[in-house]
Amino acid sequence: MGKPTGFKEFERRAEPYRAPAERLLDYKEIYTEHDESHLATQGARCMDCGVPFCQSENGCPVYNLIPEWNDLVYKGYWREALDRLHKTNNFPEFTGRVCPAPCEGACVLGISNPPVTIKNIENAIIDKGFENGWVVPHIPSTRTGRKVAVIGSGPAGLAAAAQLNQAGHEVTVYEREDRIGGLLMYGIPNMKLDKEVVERRVKLLAAEGVKFVVNADVGGQGPHAIAIDKLLAGVDALCLATGATTARDLKIPNRDGDGIHFAMEFLTANTRSLLDSGLKNADFISARDKNVIVIGGGDTGTDCIATSLRHGCKSLVNFEIMPRPSVDRPADNPWPLWPKIYREDYGHTEAAHRFGKDPREYSLSGKEFIRDAQGKLLGINTVEVDSKFQEIPGTVKFWEAELILLSMGFLGPEHYLSNALGIELDQRSNYKAEYRSFQTSNPKVFAAGDCRRGQSLVVRAIDEGRLVAEAINHYLLTE
Amino acid sequence: MTNEALYPLKFGYPQKTGLYDPANEKDSCGVGFVADIKGRPSHQIMLDAYHINSRMDHRGGCGFEANTGDGAGILMALPHSFFAAVARKEFDVELPAAGSYAVGNIFLPQDPAEREHCRQTINSTISAEGQRLIGWREVPVDPDGADVGPAARMAQPRIEQLFIAASEGMDRDTFERTLYIIRKRFTHKLRGDRNLQEAKMLYACSLSTKVIVYKGMLTPGQLFPFYQDLTNTNFETHLAMVHSRFSTNTFPSWDRAQPNRFMSHNGEINTLRGNVNQMVAREGTVKSELFGQKMAELFPVIDSDCSDSGSFDAVLEFMLLSGRSLQESVMMMIPEAWQSDTNMSQDKRDFYEFHSALMEPWDGPASIVFSDGDYIGAVLDRNGLRPSRYYVTHDDKVIMASEVGVLEVNPANVKLKGRLQPGKMFLLDFEQGRLIPDEELKQAISSRRPYGQWLQNQKITLEQIATTAAAHSLDADNVLARMQAFGYTTETMQFMLLPLVTEARDPLGSMGNDSALACLSDKPRMIYDYFKQLFAQITNPAIDSIREEVVMSLECFIGPEGNLLDTTETQAHRLSLKHPILSNRELADIRAMDFRGMRTQVIDITYQAGTENGYRQALDRICSEALQAIQDGYSFIILSDRNIAADRIPLSALVACGAVHHHLISKHQRTRIGLVIETGEAREVHHHCLLTGYGADAINPYLAFEALWQASLDGLLGDGYQTEDDLVYAYKKGVAKGMLKVMAKMGISTLHSYKGAQIFEAVGLADEIIKRCFVGTASRVQGVSFAVLIEETERRHRLGYPLANANLIPVLNNPGDFHWRSGGENHMWDPSSIFNLQVAARNNSVDAYKTFARHTNEQTTRACTFRGLLKFRKDSVAAIPLDQVEPASAIVKRFATGAMSLGSISTETHESLAIAMNRMGGKSNTGEGGEDPSRFSPMANGDSKRSAIKQVASGRFGVTIWYLNNADELQIKIAQGAKPGEGGELPGGKVDEYIAKIRHSTPGVGLISPPPHHDIYSIEDIAQLIHDLKNANREARISVKLVSEIGVGTIAAGVTKAKTDHLVIAGHDGGTGASPLTSIKHAGLPWELGIAETHQTLVMNNLRSRVVLQTDGQLKTGRDVAIAALLGAEEFGFATAPLITLGCIMMRKCHLNTCPVGIATQDPELRKKFRGKPEHVVNYLFMVAEEMREIMAELGLRTVNEMIGRVDLLQTDKAVKHWKADGLDLQAILAPAQKVFPNTGVYCTQSQDHGLDKALDNRLIKLAAKAISNGEKVNIELPVLNINRVVGTMLSSAVAKRWQQEMLPEDTINIKLNGSAGQSLGAWLAKGITLTVEGDANDYVGKGLSGGKIVIYPPKNSSFKAEENIIAGNVNLYGATSGEAYIRGIAAERFAVRNSGATAVVEGIGDHGCEYMTGGCVVILGKTGRNFGAGMSGGIAYVWDRDQDFNKQCNMDTFELEALHEQADIDQLKELISRHLHYTESSVAQQLLDNWKQSIQQFVKVMPTDYKRVLAERAASAEQAVAV
Repeated sequence: MGKPTGFKEFERRAEPYRAPAERLLDYKEIYTEHDESHLATQGARCMDCGVPFCQSENGCPVYNLIPEWNDLVYKGYWREALDRLHKTNNFPEFTGRVCPAPCEGACVLGISNPPVTIKNIENAIIDKGFENGWVVPHIPSTRTGRKVAVIGSGPAGLAAAAQLNQAGHEVTVYEREDRIGGLLMYGIPNMKLDKEVVERRVKLLAAEGVKFVVNADVGGQGPHAIAIDKLLAGVDALCLATGATTARDLKIPNRDGDGIHFAMEFLTANTRSLLDSGLKNADFISARDKNVIVIGGGDTGTDCIATSLRHGCKSLVNFEIMPRPSVDRPADNPWPLWPKIYREDYGHTEAAHRFGKDPREYSLSGKEFIRDAQGKLLGINTVEVDSKFQEIPGTVKFWEAELILLSMGFLGPEHYLSNALGIELDQRSNYKAEYRSFQTSNPKVFAAGDCRRGQSLVVRAIDEGRLVAEAINHYLLTE
Repeated sequence: MTNEALYPLKFGYPQKTGLYDPANEKDSCGVGFVADIKGRPSHQIMLDAYHINSRMDHRGGCGFEANTGDGAGILMALPHSFFAAVARKEFDVELPAAGSYAVGNIFLPQDPAEREHCRQTINSTISAEGQRLIGWREVPVDPDGADVGPAARMAQPRIEQLFIAASEGMDRDTFERTLYIIRKRFTHKLRGDRNLQEAKMLYACSLSTKVIVYKGMLTPGQLFPFYQDLTNTNFETHLAMVHSRFSTNTFPSWDRAQPNRFMSHNGEINTLRGNVNQMVAREGTVKSELFGQKMAELFPVIDSDCSDSGSFDAVLEFMLLSGRSLQESVMMMIPEAWQSDTNMSQDKRDFYEFHSALMEPWDGPASIVFSDGDYIGAVLDRNGLRPSRYYVTHDDKVIMASEVGVLEVNPANVKLKGRLQPGKMFLLDFEQGRLIPDEELKQAISSRRPYGQWLQNQKITLEQIATTAAAHSLDADNVLARMQAFGYTTETMQFMLLPLVTEARDPLGSMGNDSALACLSDKPRMIYDYFKQLFAQITNPAIDSIREEVVMSLECFIGPEGNLLDTTETQAHRLSLKHPILSNRELADIRAMDFRGMRTQVIDITYQAGTENGYRQALDRICSEALQAIQDGYSFIILSDRNIAADRIPLSALVACGAVHHHLISKHQRTRIGLVIETGEAREVHHHCLLTGYGADAINPYLAFEALWQASLDGLLGDGYQTEDDLVYAYKKGVAKGMLKVMAKMGISTLHSYKGAQIFEAVGLADEIIKRCFVGTASRVQGVSFAVLIEETERRHRLGYPLANANLIPVLNNPGDFHWRSGGENHMWDPSSIFNLQVAARNNSVDAYKTFARHTNEQTTRACTFRGLLKFRKDSVAAIPLDQVEPASAIVKRFATGAMSLGSISTETHESLAIAMNRMGGKSNTGEGGEDPSRFSPMANGDSKRSAIKQVASGRFGVTIWYLNNADELQIKIAQGAKPGEGGELPGGKVDEYIAKIRHSTPGVGLISPPPHHDIYSIEDIAQLIHDLKNANREARISVKLVSEIGVGTIAAGVTKAKTDHLVIAGHDGGTGASPLTSIKHAGLPWELGIAETHQTLVMNNLRSRVVLQTDGQLKTGRDVAIAALLGAEEFGFATAPLITLGCIMMRKCHLNTCPVGIATQDPELRKKFRGKPEHVVNYLFMVAEEMREIMAELGLRTVNEMIGRVDLLQTDKAVKHWKADGLDLQAILAPAQKVFPNTGVYCTQSQDHGLDKALDNRLIKLAAKAISNGEKVNIELPVLNINRVVGTMLSSAVAKRWQQEMLPEDTINIKLNGSAGQSLGAWLAKGITLTVEGDANDYVGKGLSGGKIVIYPPKNSSFKAEENIIAGNVNLYGATSGEAYIRGIAAERFAVRNSGATAVVEGIGDHGCEYMTGGCVVILGKTGRNFGAGMSGGIAYVWDRDQDFNKQCNMDTFELEALHEQADIDQLKELISRHLHYTESSVAQQLLDNWKQSIQQFVKVMPTDYKRVLAERAASAEQAVAV
């Protein structure tokens, strides 16, 4: 299969991003065009392992049939590769763009060489599929007459809806925002995941028969509120996929006041304004000409960096409480675990391009925000910490900033809906439900995705969405 | 003790119990005869016979009692004057004239009342058949004088002689037939009489006017003292056939001793099951005017409890007494390999082809001696797998035996010395008083009738029946849906079908099988997956279907068979098929045919979905439709599943085929119709093998064609297949190669006899399925029933035809049968187990090990294996504190790593394993690739890279005397778990300089390991090899490695009797290198069955205490080891797990040389990636031992010895359940071993007596003392006998131990021997020793020759022409690595097989000469047999091709023939011939040298192509180097 000696002959070469100078000027996707022959060579590097760790529990959470489609791409069978890809993954165009690719961390080739560019290949397969019109709606031939409501239209909710619809059930997805997609729509900036890509998929689902209701705040209080009792009474099963939207705060002195925002506020507003008006309505938090500090080193932090740069910030610093990771795997982090190593994401490259320096500062912990007498944000004082997060005396330092973005992860779901439903929570305040059964304390109510497991990857949300659909289907058929 | 417990001793075999089944017994032996050509009776013949048999004592077996033999006997002409005197004395009557009375020895019950009943029944049968009883005489026997052992005595029947007179005026032939009927009648009646306790004791040794048989459960030496008649000087005969038996178990059986009534057999009939079934089926069609209505009295022709030899004898007798001659009958039953022999005369081919329409070959290694008193003859199987040597003397005596030298003959009296050649017959006609040569004899028989003309008139070929009927195109609809319904997966295409076509062979895979047994899988599995292919080990050899293709054939007649007892033209009126796979076109022709009375009925094997009981009803329906078709006069039936649709579910084609086949056999109708299968289900080689193995005559696997055609259209097959025909042709070619290989694994060479032979064992199928479809197949673990089978079928059907809402993406599933897939089939090595084991081993982390062990014990092992379903039984035992259990450091000494050759794995890996095992006091294994001598010395840091176990495999790579003397254990690898019954190939690319040096071969030239050891074709051969190796290094224990399969226990018992010190029973699931996928998945059985069966059988035979038992096969945890011990193992092998600790990640790419972690590769770049350390292995194995200790403490066991065989501490874990495994019954595995004999030990407590004290070498060593200690020259001269075996080998060991690798200078020790040397003369003869034999020699001369020199020439006073006579036996210079041999005369088959460095001159050789040779030089000054140089990849041969016909004998796949023009070659040849002259005074050599110029013209040089290329490349690069 594939090319047995491919891994010896070819180097890993990931698809390049557009040049920073060029991409910083727009909000278009950072990716370059796929080059078929290049990807074929990269596919040839796949060793078709007897035990493909890329699809083990340390690898791909939806168990993508990676060796199979790597081989098909190597041989040029893109259409077959697409069929195989869709067998396990409803939305490869999302994961192909935003997934951190644990599959590559678990790739066997990674024991001694750089792994196969699995993510690039996945993305190319689905892009090519759309390009060639191979991705078409599959309309179920019969209907069961059972109704399911899905709350939340992020990747978990969409995957659940897609699968339940294919099983013949009547599915309605409720979204409290004005656009479908949840995190995919507003949490991830356009340059990483073009919103047309999201809408394209939503349209397909709609064509297949999934109903979408936006501005529908189920169990909420506001103008768009929908009463949960009524909704629940009208369906045979309910699926909660509301995500983990409670952000972790930085509770140090002077937190209250202008200039300090959660990353999601910043990113959501920006995308909405971009889509509504091309940022012309000015209805967003601008970083223009400001000294910006992003606290938190994850993907969302990077997205904040990239967005701030596009706004035209004056300076940019990114705090990370952890020490700078090594370039190679540490001993306690062996293959095939997710490699905790130093990486450079697109935002870091862009910042370095703009300011000549990687924006990241490590082992820093915020002590207090500094405001002037009027309460205007001046910056923040930090202190250095050791690997156990103990402060190192004498290392307090002031950093100037007019805009500080908090990107420190999420604590769990909001609780107004769960309270209204009266379902149990687990110790970490997530909706309580077992993996694979997904049933909450209310047998008719199921929960999947980040609201059940806590913040995680898009691909895990898809996995949970697919599996909750199986569980609900089983429930509906055996009830 | 109850009576029951004594029964086994008294009445032959114990009942089937646990895993022991008496049906598995096999035997082999020594056979011989002596006769007066002119038919003159004398008592001297008896004395000679006695001598012969005693001299073959070492070929017979004995059990735990030295004086209880496996059986010995003699067949002679009825001594008229002796019996006349007896009759006068006993009955006071005059016997009628010779020919008008018969005498036979009858075994009768011990119980007087029962005995009387038997006599009465016999008497009344005699009178009912109109003959006259003369009387009964008690045969005088002397068990005390003969020192017959207690076990044999207890089972000894009363032996009486029955005298019958012919009715008045009855001619001799009619009387013989009547005697046959009498014997059959009383035997059927009495042996089947349930009222008789001792019914099985009744047995008629013979009952004839011409010959008489005396036999019993005796050693050869006991036969004459026991039967006093035999030593009576009045007892005279003109012929005597003797036999000594070596059975694989020790249970008493007087009746199974040989000779049988007309023949003795040395060998084994592999195809017995099929032959017997066919004979049963034929009972519906046989007719004979000679028997008329009496025919029914003869059925069954083969009695149900017959051995293979007994069955052969029964059929031979049936044909003989129905009017065929003995010779013709034997030619029908054991035909030569005629199909591909282009040199055979047309008449003979026609004879064989015609008779192949009547009977399938009885295939297997066989040297058969037969006689009816008028003739005595012998025949050898088509492949020459048994030795048979003869002398003819000037005074008209013929002496023939498995060995020469069994009877001393004055050399001057020897007229000629010959051997039986493969497929050839040897016949003495006493009436004519002469020896009839094979050619003459067969020509006479072949030309008796116009067989050729008959074939031309009657034989039907596919071309003749071509029609214009529409055939299905391969371009079909719904391919994918049907593929899914028939269980196709992406792996079916990727791993099986595409490579089958592109590589034209059964595809390869790596790293064994770690996935769930089919009966444990929670996935629906094809019924084919429940069957495991059986394979030959020890008692008969596998065949190399590639290199020895000349003996293989797929050609068959199919369709209605005629009357076996007739010989008429119309019997050839059958359809001749070259290949069992039919294209759609061919099938359409058969379907539509209406040709000379032949028509075909199609039977639909699908049923209506949703019908209650639809599956079973369909089975009933097709069976009755098949029977009806016969009654309606159809000649063929096609079982077809073409009607598959959403609402039509197909029966499994295999279930349908087996059910119909067995239904028709039971109705005696099977031979009246041809059975053709049209199915979408069968596609892999294994499937086709199963279908034919259960009776299919031809198969049309239409869906495989369609799937491949689709793949071809999709471009997955390249551009090679333009038309459907091209594709089908390629598929057929791949299947043919694969099927031949599967057949060859069992040692079967023709499809004709493989068909219906049922060479399979089922695992986990319930008896209801077996009894319906696969009658007679072993299924020792009961389980899956029809209900499950139906559920599986219907589930699969729904995959292709889902109930509703079919918005499925149209792709095949990948359930991960070969490669692990998430959510797919369970594999024992999954990501979690690999990861945790690596962490545990690298960091010595007990936590990680525990995670690994828990995951393995509770999940993967449980889901995949039988041991997973067991749990420890702690209720009746008291736990002890852990510190009372023997330490881990003691337990790890019982551990060994697997046999992985340097070559299959990298140097780094191989050495890491050795260092690790040496640090622990365990044992590592060289594998079959030899070992670098530099590793024999310790390293500076105290570590050692020396492998304690040195393997001796069929390739004998690097097996020198020095290698053998650096071992603690010498392991004879008979089979390996991943590919039992197969050889191996190391591709040229993996043979680098270093590996080539160790293996004594040429870098870049591929190496072949033959499927069999060419010195082990039967049980007495392994006894010989064990003896050889013990001589080569007496400090090493000898081990034999077997693979689990049904009957391995009895084979193990046989090998223990053959004096092995150690036995490995490997499971089917191990495997650390490349193998054909068919073998990985479908051959061999789990070790749980194998070790339990072996332990049970050895204990029952009281042999367990003489041998150490080891098991291996996916052992991973302490729990695995504990279970293995409780089932009977005392040592434990690990291979995959240690590799994983060293970094293996189950890539399964060993066969591609692309291992990315530097383990299973020789690529220097990849080897740099190796990151394993010996301590990883040590860490892991100690943690295994600690886990084992915890279990021992819980079970209250202090030592491993206390654990062995304690199955009472195991029980089935009721908690483990799933839909399929529910009905599994492991009771057979957990049956306690029965102790039939008193004081039976249950683990190894005593050592074997290898009899080294009797060796001639003890004297040689003394006489050569000065040479050994100081290197002084010595000269020795001694007489030699055939019982002096392995001469020179202990001496060589002494030389090697003293002088190490360099040994001694040429001719330091000169030994001259006079007489007939025993087997293995000069095995591994060390450099510096010269052995000269004046006389002749037996098999295996110069085996493993290690620098020594062997010279053999006939006695100086011989009268025959040396170059026309045979002087040395089979398989000389096998695996020789260096040294010289000069043989003045002809050597038999397989000369210089796998020679890698020796130089030899010989004056003619038999078939398969220089096979697999990789080095050295062989000069042949005479004729060669067929298939010369098969697989020869190195070295050079020079052949004196005087008649310019040598090329016809060559297998030119790997070499070319050249004239001699290079001066260097000419000089080398001249030098060798001169030396030959010098040592042997050969007149041939003299003549050649006298006319040297002319002689050169007549020589042909055999030059292997690869070897030539590599030599040229080296020369070129050397030149370049010089130029630079």
